[in-house]
Amino acid sequence: MSAKTPAEAMKVFVLNCGSSSVKYQLFDMGDESVLAKGRVERIGTDEALVVHQATGRDAVHATGTILEHTAAIQRVLALLTSPEHGVIRHVSEIGAVGHRVLHGGEYFSGSVLVTPEVKQAIRACFDLGPLHNPANLAGIEAAENLIPGVPQVATFDTGFHSTMPRYAYLYALPYVLYRRYHVRRYGFHGTSHRYVSERAAALMGRPPAELKLISCHLGNGASVAAVQGGASVDTSMGFTPLEGLVMGTRSGDLDPAVLPYVMAKEELGLAEISSMLNKHSGLLGVSGVSGDMRDIEEEMEKGNPRARDAFLMFTYRLRKYIGAYAAAMDGVDAILFTGGIGENSWRVREEVCQHLNYLGVQIDPDLNRNGQKEKDIATPSSRVRVWVIPTNEELVIARDARDIVLKEKEKAGA
Amino acid sequence: MRLDKIGVVGAGTMGRGLAEAIASQGMDVLLNDRDPDQLNAAREAIEISLQKRQEKWAITEAEKRIILGRISYLDSLTPMAQADLVIETIIEDLDQKKEVFAALDRICKPDAILATNTSTLSITELAAVTQRPGQVLGLHFMNPVPTSRLVEVVRGLKTSEKTVAIAADLVAAMGKEWVEVYETPGFVSTRLVLTLCNEAMYALMEGVATAEGIDKAMRLGYGMPRGPLETADRMGLDTILLAMERLFREYGDSKFRPCPLLRKLVRAGHLGAKTGQGFFRYNRDGERIPDSHTSQGQEEGMQR
Repeated sequence: MSAKTPAEAMKVFVLNCGSSSVKYQLFDMGDESVLAKGRVERIGTDEALVVHQATGRDAVHATGTILEHTAAIQRVLALLTSPEHGVIRHVSEIGAVGHRVLHGGEYFSGSVLVTPEVKQAIRACFDLGPLHNPANLAGIEAAENLIPGVPQVATFDTGFHSTMPRYAYLYALPYVLYRRYHVRRYGFHGTSHRYVSERAAALMGRPPAELKLISCHLGNGASVAAVQGGASVDTSMGFTPLEGLVMGTRSGDLDPAVLPYVMAKEELGLAEISSMLNKHSGLLGVSGVSGDMRDIEEEMEKGNPRARDAFLMFTYRLRKYIGAYAAAMDGVDAILFTGGIGENSWRVREEVCQHLNYLGVQIDPDLNRNGQKEKDIATPSSRVRVWVIPTNEELVIARDARDIVLKEKEKAGA
Repeated sequence: MRLDKIGVVGAGTMGRGLAEAIASQGMDVLLNDRDPDQLNAAREAIEISLQKRQEKWAITEAEKRIILGRISYLDSLTPMAQADLVIETIIEDLDQKKEVFAALDRICKPDAILATNTSTLSITELAAVTQRPGQVLGLHFMNPVPTSRLVEVVRGLKTSEKTVAIAADLVAAMGKEWVEVYETPGFVSTRLVLTLCNEAMYALMEGVATAEGIDKAMRLGYGMPRGPLETADRMGLDTILLAMERLFREYGDSKFRPCPLLRKLVRAGHLGAKTGQGFFRYNRDGERIPDSHTSQGQEEGMQR
């Protein structure tokens, strides 16, 4: 690695604003290290919680009144610059702010410098991401006010999937619904799928252009992406993050005819059926125990049959998607596991991989259970590599922010 | 103006429904009633209602606990000093409401808004007992509050634009739609629904059709979720009679005269769903008992 110029070594502030929370990390891009990170929760109340940790030092906890995002970010900036807990002397040391934005609709394929037009487009996607996009925009506007003059970059969760072909993203519904309301597959977790697929190519020492990868992001929400030649060609989440895999509390794929049937039988409204599918289904709905895979595995070990059902439904659905995406790409070079479950559950990885013999997948059970966090768990003779890679969405956002800001500076200088 | 804490005075059916609906949307609720038994009953009813919503998958256990945690139960009006907006939901009695408004005017902070849930009384008259007539208005919620979609925002003579705008913000934050109406007895919804129910009773009394027939005609013919007679049963026939009499007095127009059959049922103690008997029969959960062909109203109506 060549030495970084001072510009390349800039400090990047990464923000992920939810409706009542802010998560942040401050990167020193000189060595891509995290200087500090933390979160603010319960924004909008008198009992907001701030947790801040400068790398290598004790975490700071505080509660107090924080009524909106500007106040939350102001609080965070005060901590970052405080003599006691701080890591920088003044906010002017921040060279760029990177924002995670949920939905870019059909407007964005990659990260972009925030301009009035970009903000307008994020606003235009409020309908598609009603919980996240307004909070994301509030975070952008707060940062603009608090760190004036510092460029802001938006990275979209949907961006990486913008390369899907039309036949993969269209639904077989009347075409007018796509034209009128943009009803189509968008896909999510894009930043994570992008990180692990780029990382896998680097670890395998092969150019992304010649690789066919299946990336499994398995967290509370879960999705699979088919990544061919470095680009997403299909993914399991769709118009919303509800489609695809069995998740913690989300149903994933389902016969749509179930909905009007259940709504009529149980006399449910739209709010209730939506809450049922998003919050009461998945691992929790089937097991009746928990939406957390760790609890499911523990219950399964104790012999709870419904926890076993939930585990098998989760792994079976995932296996079907892997088979489908191998077919979609006419082959697969590596399967990648990431996210809380993907990184930590050897049982899930084992259950999925031991039935993929026909694809040429063979994993080493010991390697799968033990060893490092980042590892190839396939046997030497396995035709398909199987990687466990801890995801790092914040780093992708920080890198994009730095690259875009440097490019802008070059343009301005030229 | 931020709407963080909403006061609700009166823990009857409307007060409970309002407390639940407001707390469900993330605001804190101060629910007041001078009768501690009524407060306990309200607490229980709200818990049961949320439990039912959880069983119908509308909310999760954690959401239920958060909602319950947002409601404080108070037998004194003094804590209303913290409220940004207070909605009064006590019985439809002008003198008692005046008393509440005068007390709230003394207790509440100067910029707080005072609203009444009345469906027939004069906002202007209530505003006159306060020092802030510009900040008094009517917010007419429909029962059951958590699921009904409409609120009538009622302007008294002196209600200010700002007050209407803030009240509209509250209605929007509760996920409901609103219509702006000017103070007149019965506003829009009560005036029209009462007249429809009353006329349906005349039709039954005159033997035009059976009770089931009248309701079915309006349900299927005009896409109403319930027919006028069942609507009357659910509103309470005593409530309907009182409201009709008030409209009749206020307008002095014979189109508002209460149907004699209504008066007869009320005198017999058949008040609708709450007593299990009105134009139709109801079980203890308030569900219609099928086979209503022998209902009281029916017999009364047909024997001429």
